[in-house]
Parts: sequence; C-alpha cells; structure tokens
Amino acid sequence: MSEKLKVTNLVKTFGTNEVLKGINLTVNQNEVVVIIGPSGSGKSTLLRALNRLEEPTSGSIVINNVDIASKGVDIDTVRENIGMVFQHFNLFSNLSVGENIMLAPVELKKETKEQAANQAKQLLKTVGLEEKFDATVQSLSGGQQQRVAIARALAMDPDIMLFDEPTSALDPEMVGDVLAVMKDLAKKGMTMVVVTHEMGFAKEVADRVVFVDNGQILEQGTPEQVFEHPKNSRLQDFLNKILNV
Amino acid sequence: MKHKVFKIFGWAAFLMTLFFCLSQTTITAQAKTYQIGTDVTYPPFEFANKQNKYIGIDIDIMNAIAKEEGFKVNIKPVGFNAAVQSVQSGQLDGVIAGMTITPDRKVKFDFGTPYYKTGVVMAVGKNSHIKSFKQLKGKRVALKTGTAAADYANSIKKKYGFKTVTFDDSNNMYEDVTTGNSVACFEDQPVMQYGIKQGLKLKIVTSPANTGWYGFAVKKGQNKTLRLKFNRGLKKIQANGTYDQIVGKYLGNKTNPQVKGKTFTIGTDVTFPPFEFANKHNKYVGIDMDLIRAIANEQGFKVKIKPVGFNAAVQSLESGQIDGVISGMSITNARKAKFDFSKPYFMSGVVMAVAKNSKITSLSQLKGKRVAIKTGTSAADYANSIKKKYGFHTVTFDDSNNMYQDVTTGNSVACFEDHPVMKYAIKQGTKLKIITKPAESAPYGFAVKRGHNQALLAAFNSGLADLKASGTYDNIKAKYLGTNDNDSVAKTAAADDSDSRTFIGLIKQNQGALLSGLKETMWLTIVSIFFATIFGIIVGLLGVVPSKFSNGVSSVLIYLFRGMPLLVLALFIYTGIPSLTGTKIPAFVAGVVTLTFNEGAYIAAFVKGGIEAVDPGQMEAARSLGLPFGKSMRKVILPQGIRIMIPSFINQFIITLKDTSILSIIGLLELTQTGKIIIARNLEGFKVWTIVAAMYLIIITLLTWLSNWVQRRTKV
Ligand SMILES: Nc1ncnc2c1ncn2[C@@H]1O[C@H](COP(=O)(O)OP(=O)(O)O)[C@@H](O)[C@H]1O
Ligand SMILES: [Mg+2]
Repeated sequence: MSEKLKVTNLVKTFGTNEVLKGINLTVNQNEVVVIIGPSGSGKSTLLRALNRLEEPTSGSIVINNVDIASKGVDIDTVRENIGMVFQHFNLFSNLSVGENIMLAPVELKKETKEQAANQAKQLLKTVGLEEKFDATVQSLSGGQQQRVAIARALAMDPDIMLFDEPTSALDPEMVGDVLAVMKDLAKKGMTMVVVTHEMGFAKEVADRVVFVDNGQILEQGTPEQVFEHPKNSRLQDFLNKILNV
Repeated sequence: MKHKVFKIFGWAAFLMTLFFCLSQTTITAQAKTYQIGTDVTYPPFEFANKQNKYIGIDIDIMNAIAKEEGFKVNIKPVGFNAAVQSVQSGQLDGVIAGMTITPDRKVKFDFGTPYYKTGVVMAVGKNSHIKSFKQLKGKRVALKTGTAAADYANSIKKKYGFKTVTFDDSNNMYEDVTTGNSVACFEDQPVMQYGIKQGLKLKIVTSPANTGWYGFAVKKGQNKTLRLKFNRGLKKIQANGTYDQIVGKYLGNKTNPQVKGKTFTIGTDVTFPPFEFANKHNKYVGIDMDLIRAIANEQGFKVKIKPVGFNAAVQSLESGQIDGVISGMSITNARKAKFDFSKPYFMSGVVMAVAKNSKITSLSQLKGKRVAIKTGTSAADYANSIKKKYGFHTVTFDDSNNMYQDVTTGNSVACFEDHPVMKYAIKQGTKLKIITKPAESAPYGFAVKRGHNQALLAAFNSGLADLKASGTYDNIKAKYLGTNDNDSVAKTAAADDSDSRTFIGLIKQNQGALLSGLKETMWLTIVSIFFATIFGIIVGLLGVVPSKFSNGVSSVLIYLFRGMPLLVLALFIYTGIPSLTGTKIPAFVAGVVTLTFNEGAYIAAFVKGGIEAVDPGQMEAARSLGLPFGKSMRKVILPQGIRIMIPSFINQFIITLKDTSILSIIGLLELTQTGKIIIARNLEGFKVWTIVAAMYLIIITLLTWLSNWVQRRTKV
C-alpha cells in the first residue's frame, strides 16, 4: 500500500487561537479515512488545509510526493487532483446543473465542451440524476444538490476526495442517497477523507477512523477498534454522547 | 514629369496671350506714369511731413497699389478742388483725396471700389458740457467749406437752430472751437479722430452720421485700366494686411502687432445685463460684450467669449484657464493683488432696490429685516459693510434673478445691486424700484492675470481710447442704457413680445438652445458613465483581490472621491489642476473627469459590495476545482455579483445624469446652464425652470424604462 497523503506536524493558528496543534496523519492509496470529533475541534480546518483553502501555519502536507504547503507549489494544479465536497454544497447558482459540472474541465482545457457534456451526463447518471442536466441549481433538493456537487468534484477526475460533513445539512430522508453515492465511490477504490457523524457509514465503509479533539488526533484505528474498544476517555465521552442522541 | 512641365508652360503662355489681348493698353500703360491729384492738406489722408514728403492714408494706399500692380504714380497735391477739375479736363488721370462717393459725383466720375468708410461727427472742446445737437441752439458752429461735414451741418442747422461760420482749412476751424469762439465743429470722423490723436483739445460727442465711402475717381468713361488696377490692387493690399497697416499707422493701432490674429479666451458672467446676457438668438450681447468685440476688431485680435459665471470666470483667470475677464468687474485693491486691470471703462455704483409697492424708502428701515445679495459682487461687499450699522441680515444668491425673485416674493425686503444692472432689470420688467442714490461708485475694469497677458491689456487700453475718441464707446453705452440717463433705449436686446412668454412660446423660441443644452447633458452623461463604470469596476475589483496593497488603494480612492462634494471636485479639477500644472483643461474634459472620479467611486463601492455579497463558498468551490482566482471571479462570482449590482448601476446612471447639472459651475453649456442663460435674458424663471425640469424628467423616465428592460432581460 502506497502513501497517498502524509501530514506532518501540521499547525494552524487563527490569530492567537491554535486550532491545529501538530497533526500527523497518513492516508494510503484507496484508503477511506473517516474523521470524527466534537464540534469546533478542528476537523474542517484540517480538511481545508489539505487543499490549502486554509494556509497552514507550519508543518508539511505531502500529496503524491509534493509538499503542497510549500510556497513555490502551483496550488491550482494540485487542486485539480483533489475533489472537495462541502457541507453546504456550494453549487454555482448562476449556472445550470450541467454547466456546474462542465465548468472546470472546459475552463481548464481538460476537455472540449462536447466531451465535458458527455462526461457530465455520465457522472449525473452515476449519482442518479441523469434527467437533471438542464435543471437550475435552485430547483434541486439538498440531497440532489450534494450529489451534483460530488459529480462536479469527480469531473476533474481527482485521485483524492475530501468530504466535510456532506450530509449534516440534509433532511434525514436525503442522507441515504448521498451516502450511497459515497459508498459506491469507496467501492471503486477512491482515496477518501470524510468528516462525518454518520457512524453507520463509518463502520461500513471506513478503513480507519480518526478521532480529533481540540486540534489533536487523540486516537485512530479500524472502526471496530475505535467504536467498540475506545481507549481515550474523551473518545469514550464523545461516543457516549452521539450514540445516546 | 516632362509632360507636366510642358503643360504648365503651355497654359501660362495661353493665359498671358489672353491677358494681353483683353487689355491692349497694358503695355503702353506700364511705360506710363499716372498723374494723380490730391488735396494739399487733409490729414490723415494726405499731408506733408517734416521732410516735406507727402504721406497719409490716401498716399500710402495709392503707392502700395501702384507697387502691387506694377505701375508708377506721380502724386500732385494741388488741392481738392483743383484736383477734381484737373481730372475733369484730362490733365490728371485720377484723384484720391478723401473724396466721398456721391450720386452727383458719379455723374462726372467713375469711382473705384470704395476704400474707406467715413461719417460726420461733431466735436466740442474737451471741457465742454455739450453732448448733443439739441444743446447747440443759438450757438456758433465752425465748418470747413466744401466738405461733406459742412453739408451735413447745414442740413440740420435749422432744426437745431445753430449758426455757422466757415473756414478754409481744418486747423482754423479747430482753433475756433478750442478758443471758444465756436462751441462745436463738424468734421469727417477719421480726420477728427486723427486730430485728437495728435493732441487737439477736442472730443467727439456724436456717433458718425451721414456715413459714406471714400473712393478713387477717374474721369467718366476714361482711364478704365487705371481704375481696374486700383480695384485689383486694393483687394490685394486688403488681403495681405498692408491696408490695415496703413490705416493703423494714422488712426491708431488697428492692427496691434502684439495681438494681431491671436484669439483670446475671455470669461464673463452668465447673467449680468446690461453688461452681458444672451439675446434671443443666444448670442452674448451687452455693454461688456460689445465693447470687447469692438476693441478686438479695432486691435485686430479675436475673442472667444466664455459665459461661465462671474466666480468661475475669476477663478479660471487666476488659474490661467482663460486670458481675461470682462464681467462688470469693479476694480478693487483686493483684486489688484491678483489681477492687472485696464483703465476703467465704466463707472458704477451700488443702489438698493425694493419691491414696487414696498414702503421702505431708506437704509434705516432695514433694521431686523432680511436683505438679498449676490455672492462675490461689490454690491454684496457694500451691503455687508453697512449690515451692522443698519441692523439687517443678508441671504446670498448665486445669480441676480434669484436675488430679485427673493425680493419680489417678499422673502427679502430689499436687494443691493450695481446701478446700471438694476436699472436695466427694472426696464425689463422686474417689479422692483431703486430707492437709494448710487453709493461706493466704483470703476469697472477689464482684468488679466497679474503679470500675464500684458499685450492684451495694452491692446484693450489702446482700443478703449480709440473707441472713446471715435464715439463707438458712447454708442455702445447708449444702446443699452439710453443716451440720457433717463432715456430707455435699452429695449433693443431683450424685449421679447408677449406671445413668446407663454410656455409654448418659450419652448419655440429657445428650442435650439434647450436642445443643444440637452445634447451636452446627454453627452456628458454618456461619456462620464462610460469612464466612471470602467474606473468603478477597476477600483471595485482592486478592493476584492487577495492583495492588501490593492485593497488599500481601492479603499483610499473610494474614500477620497466619495467624500468630496461634486462641486468642490469640479472646481478643483477645472481651476486647481491648471494652477498646479500650468496646463489648461477644457471644461468638458474637466467635467467628465470629475464625474468619472465621483460617480466611479460610488460604482466602485457597490461593485466591491456586490462581490462581497456573493457567498464566499462559491469562491471556495471554484478554487477547489483548480480554477485560478481570475477565472473564478469571471465565471462564478461576477455574474452573481453583477446581478446584485444592477439596481445600483441604474440608480447611479440616473444620479450621474442629474449631477451633470452641477457642472454648470465650470461653465459647461449643459441643460441647467442653458436654463440659467435663458432666464438671464427673459427673467421667466418659473416657466423656464419648469421646462428644464420637465426635460430632465423625460430623459430620466426614458433611462429608467431602458434600465428596467435591461434588468428584466438579465433576470434568470
Ligand atoms: N477563518 C477562521 N478564523 C478564525 N477562527 C476560525 C476560522 N475557522 C475556524 N476557526 C476556529 O477554529 C476552530 C475549529 O473550527 P473547525 O475546523 O470549523 O471545527 P470543526 O469543523 O471541527 O467543527 C473553531 O474554534 C473555530 O472557531
Ligand atoms: Mg466543521
């Protein structure tokens, strides 16, 4: 198993607030890593640092053997290989569903308009929305929007996908469709880092679960290790809280 | 090449042959010297100088023409009568002797093209109080025998009841007046003007009457060639400036070499009748306007009149945007610090006027009352100086009409104004009356920037002296104020018939001016919006790019140009920049620059705001896909931002259109300024402003419709 992503001693501060306090994390090819942890613990910041939406304060992030935290790197090219899915979907509201998916491939000259349109239709099919190509973003439900967002990220043919609580803004009846798409992706061997509170998904799909608290990784292991035999007391507290909800 | 040369030679030969055939006498004439008779002494047309050489306008013109046409002349000063008779008898070929072209003379002579315009004027002793023919009753008047002036005097002798005494030469006639034996004499204008220039203690008190033309004469039916050559030569010397030089040499510098041919930009007020105002045809007339044009004409320079308003004119002069100001401007010590003034050309004084039915009759009744004044005038200075003493308070206006209106409506009880201006306005129908004697009498002067344009100033002074000597000055004054101070001759310029005072009439009459004002407004708006939008978008984008420096620049620009009142910005750019850099800015350009900065700053602010109002997640999503900042901006953020901005853009366009009216301050002839000028002439403030307001509303309505249409089309 080859190393896809290696985070070493990652520190991020906002002003005087140290949000990430030296994170070390490795993700292997085809691995699905689920990050859990209480709200405000730094999960989003960590994930956003992985494609440099947040500028790391110190430490290194090596993806495909390139340290993306170093100054000289062309971040736009790096990002082409990293798909990002946001909690609030962030579909481009001035564009149609099809155009959302086609924008980056066409603009970045990866594909002609025609190729991009075909690919978009193909991707929409895999997320179960083939009839929505010409629809406006506003006409879609949250779950549909999130699936389009996943298709949009996949259009650039990334080799890592990052998900930041992709289902937490959804009505419960929508969650299943989105998780199904993600499971499908995992099955196909996509390297994924997923921040989520969907324990069912984590148990079923994750190769490894990482517990982040207060800007530090306190424990990690297989879903079984983490969920059935948590060692860290804060993890135990955390699991108690969410399982009893 | 060779062909061409031959062709030219061929043509030349042909033309020469033709020429010889047409005028067979030319060859013999060239060998011949023409004998030309003239008067013994008729300065400035012919007289012997100290070296006993004959000179004068006639002599110089004749010689110049002979030289131009390649013939010789022998000028014989045999005296006027002898010269005329000798031509008749064929002893002389022609006569040039200040000879007026009359029907009688045409029977016996053939005249060349008239070469000098003249007229008869009356001159009196320098200290004489006589100003008009009426005052000659029972008095003795000196004449010179056989002159057109004597004929004229005799023709009006009975009517005005004066006696005449005749002399054989001009000097004796003049002497008879300076010694007081006679009270006046009649003389041809150029002769009199020349005499006074040479130091005669006389002054001209009437405008030229019985005007006629001097002509060169040959015997009827004889010497046709000579006459034609004279005509041809005259045309040439008039075209090449020799003629002007000759006349100028004797009658004052008609062509002042310092200023000849130059064009000077002269600033003046918009509304200051009878000194400056636009007539029905929107041409600027008035005492100042006629005077500066007459002087320019006399001195041989050109003027470009800029009716920008008094304050703007003075500021533009200070900053060097214009060359001079003639604007009923009192010569004060304060102003002398900044400007060089001409000799005074008009004496004014400040009077107080009240509503026609007001009971106020003196300054002392003003206690506790409100008085209207006009900013920057000496009348205002005077009012302010006595304000405390009489206990009134003042309210200031930017132009006279608003000031008068404030008194007629009763908001103020009185106003202070320069005497001639007030008089003129009352004649035009302003319902005010003058109740005080002119106070603080002050001379008006023409001003140039101190130490600058001295040639122009000198030309003004010299021209003014000439116009005074020739009577033109008095004519101009009389045209607007009447000959006697009580006469109301001033109807000429501004009296409009009553049917042109209705809305329809006013619109019809001022159609051209209003439309060209509207056009200027539209141009200003369109050009300014164009540049302001570009400026605004650039500055707005600088405010959102990820660069602290650019953000700072953007904020400072927005802060500066949004924070400055438009009026101040306009004046700063138009008058301030030239003072700093020494280069002039055309008013239109200054106007566009002003609006570009001011409106552009507002546009920048809402462009920035519009972009910032787009959900930041949109940018993050775009960047996460690998799209660079610029592409993300163009493809995702701006399309959404612009939709947010469109209502603000429409709003800003309408504001820009309205704001162009403020640019009237720098003299741009846009719709508002046009309105001011029309009102300055006809004092129909309410009606004209109604028309102007309606025009603005129509345009704004159209603009709004257009904008709404655009907005609908861009809506998703
Ligand atoms: N842009 C920011 N500026 C300042 N503080 C931030 C910013 N983003 C996140 N934080 C802070 O960092 C901490 C971690 O936030 P986040 O990574 O969003 O937590 P999580 O995703 O685990 O809920 C929080 O205390 C949050 O307030
Ligand atoms: Mg989060």
